[in-house]
Amino acid sequence: MWKYLLKRSLLMIPTLLGVAVVIFFLIRIIPGDVVELRMSGDTGSVSEEILKSERARFGLDKPVWQQFVTWIAGVARLDFGTSMWTGAPIWDEIKLRFALSMQVAVMATLIAVSLAIPLGVIAALKQDSWIDYAVRIFSIAGLATPSFWLGIVFILSLLIIFKWLPPMVYTPFWVDPWQNIQQLIWPALAVGYRYSAVATRMTRSAMLEVLREDYIRTARAKGLWQKLVLWRHALKNAMLPVMTVVGIEFAFLLGGLVVTEQVFNLNGLGLLFVQAVAHRDYTLIQALVMLVAGFTILVNFAMDVMYGWLDPRIRYR
Amino acid sequence: MGVLLSVENLVTQFSTSSGLVRAVDGVSWDVLEGETVALVGESGCGKSVSALSIMRLVSEPAGRIVSGRIMFKGRDLLALSAEEMRHVRGREIGMIFQEPMTSLNPVLTIGRQLTEGLEIHLGMTPSAARARATELLSLVGITDGERRLRQYPHQFSGGMRQRMMIAMAVACNPSLVLADEPTTALDVTIQAQILELMQDLSRRLGVAMLIITHNLGVVARYADRVNVMYAGHIIERGTAREIYANPQHPYTYGLLRSVPRLDEPRRERLAPIEGQPPDLTRLPRGCAFMPRCRWRVDRCEAEAPGLRALNGTDHVTACWEAERLVKETRG
Ligand SMILES: Nc1ncnc2c1ncn2[C@@H]1O[C@H](COP(=O)(O)OP(=O)(O)O)[C@@H](O)[C@H]1O
Ligand SMILES: [Mg+2]
Repeated sequence: MWKYLLKRSLLMIPTLLGVAVVIFFLIRIIPGDVVELRMSGDTGSVSEEILKSERARFGLDKPVWQQFVTWIAGVARLDFGTSMWTGAPIWDEIKLRFALSMQVAVMATLIAVSLAIPLGVIAALKQDSWIDYAVRIFSIAGLATPSFWLGIVFILSLLIIFKWLPPMVYTPFWVDPWQNIQQLIWPALAVGYRYSAVATRMTRSAMLEVLREDYIRTARAKGLWQKLVLWRHALKNAMLPVMTVVGIEFAFLLGGLVVTEQVFNLNGLGLLFVQAVAHRDYTLIQALVMLVAGFTILVNFAMDVMYGWLDPRIRYR
Repeated sequence: MGVLLSVENLVTQFSTSSGLVRAVDGVSWDVLEGETVALVGESGCGKSVSALSIMRLVSEPAGRIVSGRIMFKGRDLLALSAEEMRHVRGREIGMIFQEPMTSLNPVLTIGRQLTEGLEIHLGMTPSAARARATELLSLVGITDGERRLRQYPHQFSGGMRQRMMIAMAVACNPSLVLADEPTTALDVTIQAQILELMQDLSRRLGVAMLIITHNLGVVARYADRVNVMYAGHIIERGTAREIYANPQHPYTYGLLRSVPRLDEPRRERLAPIEGQPPDLTRLPRGCAFMPRCRWRVDRCEAEAPGLRALNGTDHVTACWEAERLVKETRG
């Protein structure tokens, strides 16, 4: 097991290196660079001289491979440099937004899982009853409703019905938890609904499959309580596919909530990403991609460990 | 010895897209205390459904026990509440299933699966249940129980899993064990070991057994009495010795001719029964075996024969032409 963990950790390095190469060269294919974009804001023409000296300041005049080596050497020391657009250290740019996006992702996951598992289990147990149909409508509606639209509905309802708006300025959880929750619960709910719909459907179908298994009949033939058959014998088997979709969604949420963040006026990683690309802020884009990639790999890693815990037949080699 | 279980006119049906499947169609048989009874027949004739009906585990809502009584220790199991029935399952009637590979839960330890019945039915503490579980494993011939209890089913061989199933079935000292083709999925060499084990346990614990099988060799060696089943009906019943030596139904006769026998010199060829079992959604009015029968007469098509005794013993057969069959095959 420990050997496996070590091996998996080491395997992260080539994967991340691959991501680094791809993102580094791909963003340089997009026409325009940060210098041009910054200067174009100013009126009048800018002399070639100034452009050149500015590019030299960012090292953009050097050959691309040399830029890459300089950057990757920094990354190896966890030094992502400074933002080309604002000049601030990357970590300062990302810190708060990462906390915010992470918190929304975690809250949405908690909401989704705590809805999905009971709903999916009940729907499977009462297959084709009115409860099952209600759950299926709930989850199909969830799949069909864009999170940002639901977000707009939330905001408008709060405003019109309660004459109240969630706080518009982000307060970190550790500064004022109550203020923080009041702001972030709404995007978490808006995103969590769709998320729970995906997970509910998966729970339901996995449960239906497991309930038909021979070992469930064996458990019932032993005279166990229905509850025990369900929670001990069925659910643990049905959790594997559910964990998989939860993991995939969770990893996506960290950097993928561009529109929802905009609706709720949140400065999350998704929005930062879009801005960074618009500014051709290479260092920031690279750092964000590496962050999200590293996070995704970690989530996958955690999933694998969880599989082994759920299913003893899975061996780590 | 008293009657332990008596199935009376049991009818179990499935509604499927191709129509109503009459899987068990008015069947009566019984098991005496401590006795081993066999239920024999080709696959699809309703053996498993019979056993599942006793446990009331027929898969609903497609499957339904339509009528009949299942008297067990003086109570009709079909009239019990769900909670009362739960106390019968595992506690008074144990069950062993055919597929040891899929019938154990892959994600729970052997110990967990063996002790949960003890904890629930006998109110044992976890540590007492574990001690008893180790005992049970050694009872079914699995040594090193302490370590085995911590393992998972995939770490057991097929034979060991079936031993574990047997241990689970007898854990709470039931008075009846239903074994649905307990050895069909196993290697031939292991089959004999498992059957020996079951016979031994049955004698030592005084537990009655219903052995479901399609293998008449198993029947001859291990059963006291035999019910032969065809298309949802019992078509012949008698002691194992009688059925084997003196079959009175064309189907039983055919079955016996289709398996190698140890008590006869090797025949040149085994003779499988020609034709296919009937479609259970469209059973004929008369005898269901008629289309495949060498002895059929006009009456077979018009009228289904009931079970009757030819010679005043407990050996009964559902065939109009049984006397002729006996005369012709005796010679
Ligand atoms: N869950 C089910 N749904 C529909 N038909 C079933 C079901 N279970 C059994 N049957 C039908 O009932 C008949 C008897 O099945 P079974 O008792 O399993 O046969 P066997 O004698 O091989 O054990 C078969 O024709 C089978 O198709
Ligand atoms: Mg069967």
